[in-house]
Amino acid sequence: MKIAVQVNNHPVELESRADETLLTAMRRAGFRSVRLTCGIGVCGVCTVLIDGQPISSCLVLAPAAAGAGITTTEGLHDGDPIATAFQELSAFQCGYCTPGFILTTRALLLENPDPADDEIRHALAGNLCRCGSYLKIHQAVRRAAESMRR
Amino acid sequence: MTLDPRITGRFEYGQDQQVEGMLHARILRSPHAHAKVLSINTSEVPQQVVTLTRDDVADLEPLYGPMVKDQPIVARERVLHVGDAVAAVAAGTPREAEEAIALVEVEYEEMPGVFDPVDATGDAAPLLHDGIEIPAELRPDGRNICHRFRLQSGLGQQGFELADVVVEDTFAVAAAAHVAMEPHATLAYWEEGRLHVITGTQTPFNVRRDLAALFRLSEEMIRIVVAPMGGSFGAKTFMRLEPITAALARKARRPVRAVLTRGEEFLTVNRHPARFHIRLGATRDGTFVAKSVDAWWDTGAYADCGPSVCTKGGYAAIGPYRIPNVTVDSRCVYTNLPPAGAFRGYAATQGVWASERVTDLMAGRLEIDPLELRLRNLLRDGDRFATGEVMRDVRFAACLRAAAEAVDWSEGRKNKGLAVMLKGMQTPSRTGVALEIDAGGHILLRSATTDMGQRPDIAQRNLAAEALGLSPDLIAVGPNDTDLVPFDTRTTSSRSTFMMSNAIREAANDLRRKIAERFEVAPEDLVLSDEGAGVAGSPDLSRPLADLAGLRGDGTFVTPGGLDPDTGQGIASSHWHQAAASAEVRVDPETGVTSITRLHTAVYAGNVVDRPGAELQNEGSTIFGIGTALFEGIVFEGGQVTNGNLSDYEIPSILDVPDFTYDLLEGGEHSHGLGEMAVPVVPAAIGNAVAAAGHPVRNLPMSAEAVLGSSTSQGLRRPSSPQGGWEGD
Repeated sequence: MKIAVQVNNHPVELESRADETLLTAMRRAGFRSVRLTCGIGVCGVCTVLIDGQPISSCLVLAPAAAGAGITTTEGLHDGDPIATAFQELSAFQCGYCTPGFILTTRALLLENPDPADDEIRHALAGNLCRCGSYLKIHQAVRRAAESMRR
Repeated sequence: MTLDPRITGRFEYGQDQQVEGMLHARILRSPHAHAKVLSINTSEVPQQVVTLTRDDVADLEPLYGPMVKDQPIVARERVLHVGDAVAAVAAGTPREAEEAIALVEVEYEEMPGVFDPVDATGDAAPLLHDGIEIPAELRPDGRNICHRFRLQSGLGQQGFELADVVVEDTFAVAAAAHVAMEPHATLAYWEEGRLHVITGTQTPFNVRRDLAALFRLSEEMIRIVVAPMGGSFGAKTFMRLEPITAALARKARRPVRAVLTRGEEFLTVNRHPARFHIRLGATRDGTFVAKSVDAWWDTGAYADCGPSVCTKGGYAAIGPYRIPNVTVDSRCVYTNLPPAGAFRGYAATQGVWASERVTDLMAGRLEIDPLELRLRNLLRDGDRFATGEVMRDVRFAACLRAAAEAVDWSEGRKNKGLAVMLKGMQTPSRTGVALEIDAGGHILLRSATTDMGQRPDIAQRNLAAEALGLSPDLIAVGPNDTDLVPFDTRTTSSRSTFMMSNAIREAANDLRRKIAERFEVAPEDLVLSDEGAGVAGSPDLSRPLADLAGLRGDGTFVTPGGLDPDTGQGIASSHWHQAAASAEVRVDPETGVTSITRLHTAVYAGNVVDRPGAELQNEGSTIFGIGTALFEGIVFEGGQVTNGNLSDYEIPSILDVPDFTYDLLEGGEHSHGLGEMAVPVVPAAIGNAVAAAGHPVRNLPMSAEAVLGSSTSQGLRRPSSPQGGWEGD
């Protein structure tokens, strides 16, 4: 079946079976920033934003996303304050989990432009980074918040 | 600023590789830990799906392995662990492959299994391998033992007669999962008899060599293209998916890609569970006089690099101490668990845990400050290690003092712990690299260093830029393809920065010579800058680098060494990884839950070539150590992994990471790898802190149950759990 969605503000028709996940359909459509790691919604690697909210695309059936506005990091533009902060602070190593962190950060900062350190930690608790870049990720989120408030 | 493709998510990993007409693989795995494979029936699989069973590989070498050839592509007469590959399929879509694999019927006859490395050496244990050839340099002395590393220095065991005090205890470290966020992924295809493999691997030249042997081809008939990895941590070393994918592609006459599921990751390769019995003897003034290390490393059903693990873990458990009389007996043992292999911290994690807990036991017995006891016995420049090699560029004390200071050790030791370690770097070892001027006036760096997220391109560009006196922007790293890059042993053992820094310097000197020849001047009269090459004092002779396109400098760096397996004497490492850690903890007396209140690592970094990269590596290592210390452990039940998913097997999240600090100790003549330094010392420092809080833990991980079970009031108990004490100390 074809599922009409908006991805990064562009209309996209996802090709999917009714029993496939949004993650599978997004990858098939070429959005490779959406990646499978745990498959059970605990690692946050496959995070996309649906209408601004971070969700694990491995837990959502593709048809359930029909009509939704989906955000992935492929839509990032140069100068994006969150992406810039992650890059300037070297807040990644292998980069596999990075899109999920950036999207979770975007959702956090849109809701809470001036998060306390503990609020940052709790917001990011559902995203795992095995390389262990958490210290620099935390700093990047802080810097992104500052630059977005300016 | 242009965004990095790793940030936008456009970066392509192994799992993203594809070629026209590619099929998707799935593997049928044994549900039994040990069984005869009576029959395999693929007749229900749809015609268009390619199947692979033992009959399809009968013309190939039967077995492969980096140190012992003991692993088949797919099972032959028996399966040896849960998850052992029995058959595989390749189909047009992943889904079709998944449906097809369910249609393969296998008839098994279950056999008794063995799941503990000590039990496996007993006469009653089933024999895992029969009739395999063990290379002459290994010592398969004992039932199910594929290698036994022994070391003796001084008087050996008799040295204990010189001791006033002897402490001893038994320790265990559980299996752990690498949990690279990207699973293993391999794509293989054949073209005119030549095998092309695009794969996420740390060991392209090992894979090329071993595939050549397996498929009975010359190495030139194999091409390995290394895909960047979404993490590896040792998991993507040696052959993993490459043999089965190549065999499928051979039969299908089509390209085939295989990507593991998360559950399969736990059945493919893990960290060695290990058991130790350690004795340490000292005189009353706190001088170490004798030590013995008995170790059992559970390498699972296949040896993989286990013989090297038992060697490196064997001497790591001696510790960075001056001890005149040492014996080590370190056994690499087959069991019916999934294979164990390289894992960040490579055997030092287990060895340092046991060794540094014993150091604290001695401090307690002698009532000497654990810092003082260590400083009194640490190896110094010019001392001989137990292997006989003379220690140079020694920084153990500096690391340890820095760690102690960071937790205000001198102001009180309550709930605090320290640890210090040495870890060897793979030797003998060889690295080649080339620097080539391209038509665009860039320097193309040809290197086999693989990218698993440790920023090797930045480090290598910085090294080449420094060696040539050019800006890093002018250096480009070429494709990682065994057809195009000089030989390099592998990207493991935190060796690449050290080895490459030396090889790149050689290549830069060679390139300067070549350019100087072109100008017909001596190399010292050559002036090289971002603007081009020229001759000192003759500005009119200057030419842009693009005019020199095609000139190439080659550099090779080789380290000798190796240890005698019977005496442990020789060269263990060309330079030493040196690190220390300190921790302060709070243990909840009701629940046994350990909280880290302070944590510091101090690692000898030498010359830092990529500062953010160095910081990231040490931060990541520290966090790896926290997981190993407090909660990471694979739980096996009758050979089955019972927690093979990321809900039941937890890795550290940002909430598990306390505020921690670290020192990168700089200086010396070399650049050092930093990828693994903190991993071994962090659990040991935390363990010594937990012990100082009244819970003398012996096993990793220090789960709440284990900590409660170890409390001093209950007295000392030996670990009874066969899997290394996960369920209780």
